[in-house]
Amino acid sequence: MDWLDRELGQALNRKNPSPDFAERVRWSLHVQKHQPAHGLQWWLATAAAFVSVAGAGGIGYRQHQGEVARQQVMQAFRIAGASLNHIQTQVREVRR
Amino acid sequence: MTGLATAGQALDFDELIGAHQSMVFSLAYHFLRDRESAEEVAQEVFLSLHRNLAAIQSPQHAAFWLRKVTVQRAFDEGRRRKRRPQVALEDIAEPAAAARPGDPLLGETLRRLIATLADAPRMVMILRYQEDLDPMDIAELLEMPVATVKSHLQRSLALLRGKLERRGLGEH
Amino acid sequence: MTRLCTVACLAPLAAILWAQQFKFNLDRLAAKASNNVDVSVSGSTLKFAARFLDNSDPDEAKVKKLIGGLDGIYVKSFEFKTEHAWTEADLESIRTQLHTPEWERMLGYKSSEDGETDEIYVRTENKKISGVAIIACEAKSVTVVNIAGVIDLDSLAELGGHFGVPKLEKTPGHKAP
Repeated sequence: MDWLDRELGQALNRKNPSPDFAERVRWSLHVQKHQPAHGLQWWLATAAAFVSVAGAGGIGYRQHQGEVARQQVMQAFRIAGASLNHIQTQVREVRR
Repeated sequence: MTGLATAGQALDFDELIGAHQSMVFSLAYHFLRDRESAEEVAQEVFLSLHRNLAAIQSPQHAAFWLRKVTVQRAFDEGRRRKRRPQVALEDIAEPAAAARPGDPLLGETLRRLIATLADAPRMVMILRYQEDLDPMDIAELLEMPVATVKSHLQRSLALLRGKLERRGLGEH
Repeated sequence: MTRLCTVACLAPLAAILWAQQFKFNLDRLAAKASNNVDVSVSGSTLKFAARFLDNSDPDEAKVKKLIGGLDGIYVKSFEFKTEHAWTEADLESIRTQLHTPEWERMLGYKSSEDGETDEIYVRTENKKISGVAIIACEAKSVTVVNIAGVIDLDSLAELGGHFGVPKLEKTPGHKAP
C-alpha cells in the first residue's frame, strides 16, 4: 500500500451521522405507521404522534419540530439555489 | 411486513441501525458531499430496510443489502441534484496552501478531487477506500464487470496522483 | 422504482400565514412523475427554522441570512422516467398568473436541442422587489419555485453552486449529465 492509498483510506474513512439519527429513523417509522390521508386529518394525526412520542420521553417536541423545519428549509433552498445556479450557468454559456 | 410489532424485531432493527448507520451515512456523504442529503438518503435506506426486514437472511446479508441500496439511493439523489456542471479533474482549482501527507488539508483536497469524478468511478473509489472492498465485491455491488471496476480505479488513481505530484507531493 | 413523495407543509397549527404568490396547479405533472418533491415553508416556519440552523455550517449560515427578508418559500419539483413527459400546456396556468403588471420576466432561456426552458420572474410592489418565481424545465424534470419576500438572487445561486461540491465553471466539452 503506498502513501496515496493510505491518504485515501484516511480521507474516505467512515463518518457518523447526527447523534439523534437513529431516533429520527424510529420517529419516521412511527409517523408512517399512523399516517392517514392528507388534509386536516393528517395534520391532527401528526400532531398527536408528536405529542405521544414526546410524552413517552423519546424526543423533545420542540427540538424535533425545529429539526424537521430546518431540514425542510434547507431542502427548499437547495432546490431553489440549484435551479438558479443551473439557469445562470446556461445563460453564461450562451453569452460566451 | 409488520412495523415495530414485537420487541424482538424492534431490537434487531435497532441493532442494524447501530451497526451500520456510519457505513450507510458515509457512503452517501462521500458521494454527495452534503451532510444533509446524506442523512436523508441514510434515513430512506433504513426505512426501506425496515419494510424488507423479513427478507434479510443474516447479518452479512444485511450489510450487503444496505450497501447496495445505499449506493442506488446515492446515485438517485445525485441525479436529482445534478444541476451542477461536471468538470475535468485537471481543471479543479488549487487551494492556496500546499498540503502534505498526513495533513488534514490533503484529506479535504482528496475528497474534493474525488467529488469531481463521474458517478461510477467516484462510487468505485469510495467503496474501495471507505469500505476496503476488493474489485470483485465492488463489481457485484455495482453490477458492472470487474475489468471496468479496475479501469475506474486505475484511471482515477493516476489522475489523482498526477494532480498531487504536480503540486509537489510524492512518495516518502 | 419507489416513488419518493416528500410532502412538507410545516407551520404551527395555531396560525398559518400563507404568502404564496401564485397557484402552482401542477397536479397533472404530479400524476405523471416518478419522483415528486413538494416543500412549502411559510414565513413563520422560516423564522422558527432559522433558530435551528447551524451558524458553523457555511451553507446553513448563508440560508439563515437569506431567510431574513422572506415571507415564504414554495417548491415543487418533478422527475419523469421519460423525456417530454411535460408540455408547455402544463405550465400555462402558472405563466398566465405571472403575466400580470406586478410580475416581470427578468430572464428566459430555451434550448430546443436539450429540451430545456428556464424563466425567472420578479414581482415588485411599490417599486420594491417582493417575490421571485423560477421555472426550470429540463427534458426529464420540472421545478417551480416561488420565493415570497426580498431575496438576494446572487447569494441564492451561489448556494446552489456549492451545496456539497466546489462551485466551478463548466469547461467546454463537459456536458452536465
